[in-house]
Amino acid sequence: MKKIPIEFSINGQKREALVNPNDLLINIIRDELYLTGTKYGCGIGECGACTVFLDNEPVLSCLTLAAAVDGKEITTIEGLANGNELHPMQIAFLKNAAVQCGFCTPGMILTAVALLKENPSPTEEEIKDYMRGNICRCTGYVQIVKAIKACAEGGKSEPI
Amino acid sequence: MLEKEQFDVIGKRFDIKNIGKVTGEEIYSCDVNIPRQLYAVVLRSPYPHAEIKKIDYTEAEKMGAICIGPDDVPDTLYNERIVSIPDKTYRDRIVLPKDKVRHVGEAIAACAAETEEEAFAALKKIKVEWGKKWKPLVALDDTMDPNAPAIYDQVYLGEKKVEIKNNLACERNIDVGDIEQGFKEADIIVDETFNIKRIYHMQLETKSAVCKPEANGGITLWTTTQGIHNVRILLGHIFDIPLSKVNVKRITLGGSFGSSIQMNSITPICVALALKARRPVKLVTSREGDMYDHSSYPLKTRLKVGVKKDGTLTAAHCQVWVEIGGHNIQAYPYLGCVAGWFASLYKWKNIKYEGKAFYSNKAPSCARRGYGSPQINFPVENTMDILSEKLGIDPVHFRLQNYVGRGDEFWGQGPTVRSIIRSCGVEEMLVKGAELISWDKRGKPDEKSGVIRKGIGVARGFHTSGTGGPHPGEVIDYSGATVKINEDGSADVITALMDHGCGTWDAGAKVVAEVLKIPFEKISIDNGVDTRTTVFDVNTHATRGVYCGCGAIKFVAEKVKEILLNYAATLFEDRPENLDLALNQELGQGVIYPKGLPENCKTIGEIAEHAHTTSWGTIAYTSTLRQKNCPPCFITYFTEVEVDTRTGEITVPRVVMLGDSGTIINPELWKGQILGAYALGLGVGKLESIPYDKITGKLKCNGFITDFKVPTTIDMPDIDNIIVDHAHTYEPTGPFGAKGIGEAALSAVASSFGNAVYNAVGIRFHELPITPEIMFKALQEKRNRREN
Amino acid sequence: MQTDSKILAQEFEYLAPKTLDEALDLLEKYKDKNIKILAGGTDLLVKMKTINLKVNYLMNVKNISELNFVDTEQGLRIGAATPLSHIIKEEKVKVKYSALYEGIMSMAAPAIRNMGTMAGNLGNSSPAADTVPPLIAYGAELKLQSKRGEHTVLVEDLITGVGKTIMKPNELITEIIIPEINKNTGSAFLKKSRVKADLSKINLAIYLEREGNICKDCKIVFGSVAIKVLRAEKTEELLKGQIINSELINKVAEEVSSEIKPIDDIRSTAEYRMAMSKQMLKDGLELAWARAKD
Repeated sequence: MKKIPIEFSINGQKREALVNPNDLLINIIRDELYLTGTKYGCGIGECGACTVFLDNEPVLSCLTLAAAVDGKEITTIEGLANGNELHPMQIAFLKNAAVQCGFCTPGMILTAVALLKENPSPTEEEIKDYMRGNICRCTGYVQIVKAIKACAEGGKSEPI
Repeated sequence: MLEKEQFDVIGKRFDIKNIGKVTGEEIYSCDVNIPRQLYAVVLRSPYPHAEIKKIDYTEAEKMGAICIGPDDVPDTLYNERIVSIPDKTYRDRIVLPKDKVRHVGEAIAACAAETEEEAFAALKKIKVEWGKKWKPLVALDDTMDPNAPAIYDQVYLGEKKVEIKNNLACERNIDVGDIEQGFKEADIIVDETFNIKRIYHMQLETKSAVCKPEANGGITLWTTTQGIHNVRILLGHIFDIPLSKVNVKRITLGGSFGSSIQMNSITPICVALALKARRPVKLVTSREGDMYDHSSYPLKTRLKVGVKKDGTLTAAHCQVWVEIGGHNIQAYPYLGCVAGWFASLYKWKNIKYEGKAFYSNKAPSCARRGYGSPQINFPVENTMDILSEKLGIDPVHFRLQNYVGRGDEFWGQGPTVRSIIRSCGVEEMLVKGAELISWDKRGKPDEKSGVIRKGIGVARGFHTSGTGGPHPGEVIDYSGATVKINEDGSADVITALMDHGCGTWDAGAKVVAEVLKIPFEKISIDNGVDTRTTVFDVNTHATRGVYCGCGAIKFVAEKVKEILLNYAATLFEDRPENLDLALNQELGQGVIYPKGLPENCKTIGEIAEHAHTTSWGTIAYTSTLRQKNCPPCFITYFTEVEVDTRTGEITVPRVVMLGDSGTIINPELWKGQILGAYALGLGVGKLESIPYDKITGKLKCNGFITDFKVPTTIDMPDIDNIIVDHAHTYEPTGPFGAKGIGEAALSAVASSFGNAVYNAVGIRFHELPITPEIMFKALQEKRNRREN
Repeated sequence: MQTDSKILAQEFEYLAPKTLDEALDLLEKYKDKNIKILAGGTDLLVKMKTINLKVNYLMNVKNISELNFVDTEQGLRIGAATPLSHIIKEEKVKVKYSALYEGIMSMAAPAIRNMGTMAGNLGNSSPAADTVPPLIAYGAELKLQSKRGEHTVLVEDLITGVGKTIMKPNELITEIIIPEINKNTGSAFLKKSRVKADLSKINLAIYLEREGNICKDCKIVFGSVAIKVLRAEKTEELLKGQIINSELINKVAEEVSSEIKPIDDIRSTAEYRMAMSKQMLKDGLELAWARAKD
């Protein structure tokens, strides 16, 4: 296979890489860049644990070729906070006990952030519908929905 | 009962110790990366029951991969779960099977290479020569067929060889009183059979291990486990390495629900590869591999119950059958626990319990949140509703009349662990819950009409808080910790106690904070500990994290308090009993002062620093503790369902959830446990199943969750329609009055769902899940029966 | 056959043309060498991972700006590589092409809709596809281009079986063309699934053109009830030119079962699908009819 040179920016940092055609974005992020916040949950696009932003839109990195992100901007969960200032969604998740084992959390938070960008004041039904592709086995979702609602109703950045 | 206001920390909300989980910095086993590590993949059997003749690795090794097969691993026979005492532990597993495979997906060999792609490419080049093949035993009835192929000829129980006949893995029979007499006294007898199928845990993190071989011949290991010492002891035993050279790191776990009580099958495989390669090896199971690694225990139950006209129960005959997959991980204690969950729900008076477990050609079953309690709760709570209908007694009153509660003897963990219940909120929860859901307005099934039918169902359950008992029994149960006060007055809690997201570590830190009056934020219970630095902890399972695990931590913290007060006494030139210890909010520290003279205080920080600069020593203590009780924590659900009779679809618009955990250490996390369990239970009730193909023995979904659907956000009721409340109880034997909740929370969900469905449409389902297809067909059949 | 969904275990060559011409050149060059088109990858990559679908050349068309557009001037013209989520952002789609809007919104979850494309959904040609019934109901066409030229086909004529289309190996879907919608028309999309984010057990798109109380024209298109998406033409004939009332709707709902051939599979049963087809037809007709009034 011919290796492919790609350029992209990740969490604001410009990077270059030489990737195989069959390299998946999730594995480049986790195994080459050591950004392990993005998780492998199912490999086939059903659980949402591998969610990242590609050009500011949530996509599933387990079904994205690394080669296909050439020239694009990626944001992972690690890029959400502003230095030591947690993003309001991260605060909301902590304050509303929306985190138990935490494995689904990065994907949940990113998807929720995308929701509020698109729809700053979603109803509970809209929140649930938007988040329907993110699986959690621990929380039963209720506190997650609460957290997203709380964030929509006026969350602020806070230092850790 | 102590009021919440008396506590500084217990029962109060703090921002919990989960910051790493929202920033992506939290490290799980699958995130560990060691320089020069190789990536490993596991070769899994495509056949359900077949002889392995020969395995040829030549092509794979030519590609540069390190390969292992049955000849490269020790043939120590073990059981991956060593929570039960050796005498009561069945052993039928070796790291890689030498003779034959016993289920599709069983590991037969493994490969490690520089990248996972290379490892997998090499894996595909491994050639297996198969011998005799047998047809798979998939359905329970197939496993009980006396002519069925034998999956095992013999296994070990402790040190005794045990012959396996007709695939019967083990059985358990318990008699209390005389059921024949009991049934004679009954006015009404009900005899029904129920079937709970296998469920896949679908914990988000697939089973993973990273193993680093050490220069001294030992290993360091990060792995998905609920008990690091369990793993250490087993690996040392299997690979013949002294435990002092086997170090298992405590690391955050991405959910488990019981699937990592045992050492996972991939862990010794990873170790074997690392030892052969003399390089670190990382093995992360694919989701499809994980689905073949474990599943829950199914249960078929025939329950016959007798009752008098006045509602007094007289006898219960409970027969259960379970097929356990290709390995016996914990079927024997499972049968004992099922008996216990059944026996301790209601006062049956006379009991006969017969339990049989059979091997099958499927993924090995292991505990899943509740360990048989959800499986037996469904038949019991359905039967209670059937009986109350026949008696003409309200189902809530019928339960109030017969539940095992305060002052009664119960044996939730099995017949050898009996104790008297000291705290019980069952009555409070049934009465309050009935009011909150408007139980009186629910109506009878045949009074309902219209396309959409509403129904309300009640069910209650419980779980033991741990497995402690008056005497050490069949199950090992103790925990320990080191608690030390640092030179600045902060504290370290060093414990092997695992937290799989249920808030165990938060509770541990709170307990220490409460005892030592050190601010919560200054207490570390963080990772960075391992089997080398911690004393034994059996496992975070059996809902023992708070009661047993934090009970031990509290015990150790109290000892540290003694030491602290003794140091302080010397400084104050007084006796320790003349001093007080309190949290000073202004100073943000614990302070010690002579009783009556709070203004003459010294902070804990000052005392610790003094002990340091004068070379006195570290204020620390290490010990373990065995709890001698396992008090039940209780749960009650009132579920409202809506059945669309045109489509068979069932939704849950409203639910009231009530829990009894004594003192609740972290209210929000406690609620989260119940809400999470409710979602899992809904999955059992209406969505989840993992059927196997009878001919090929493969999972029909092939291990992909495309066809293993679990509840999503949309399946839970709206926030305003969920009430979570707690009983006002205090458990005198628990740390600050606390009990557990984790597994109690799942026990009665599907039962309340099933009872609600009956109340809505007058159809009782004896099997789950109730999918729209099944509901629709049942409604049609009911209509046809009525018309005929 | 063992799989490893953590990786993409196959080796292939990756092609990333920047223009349509380049893409057509590459298709021509590799047309006999097992070349497949990568748009969102949400079906293709899943097949490569789970059933080892073999690909020798993978051509990513997502970077071709000529294929990424939504033109709402006359009807709808949608570029083949336009993400599904971008399509539904268009007001015209939401308001005038309800069945298409609802069909796309019923698919999976936002992330998948950001990746997936309509052409991909068409090219994958699953009987369960959610964009296909609405497109057929609207009489949509698609443009197929190759080095040899271009031609337009009705979406209805594209798919021949499970995963099979009339496309030649050197052809690329470049555009989907949906005719302008007349006044007094209404459409609806309905779907049954195990969870909301799931593939369909059965789905249905209905398009009705209304003149007073009479049904002037209608299209009734079912998915997941045969080897390909099915137009219930006999049922349509029963409605055309008729006064629409609940009596007719009920009668027609009973007839539809003779046209569809659902099977038992892991998602549902033939019996259930048959029963639901009647419910959904009733509900869909009523909904589309009411919408046609507006």
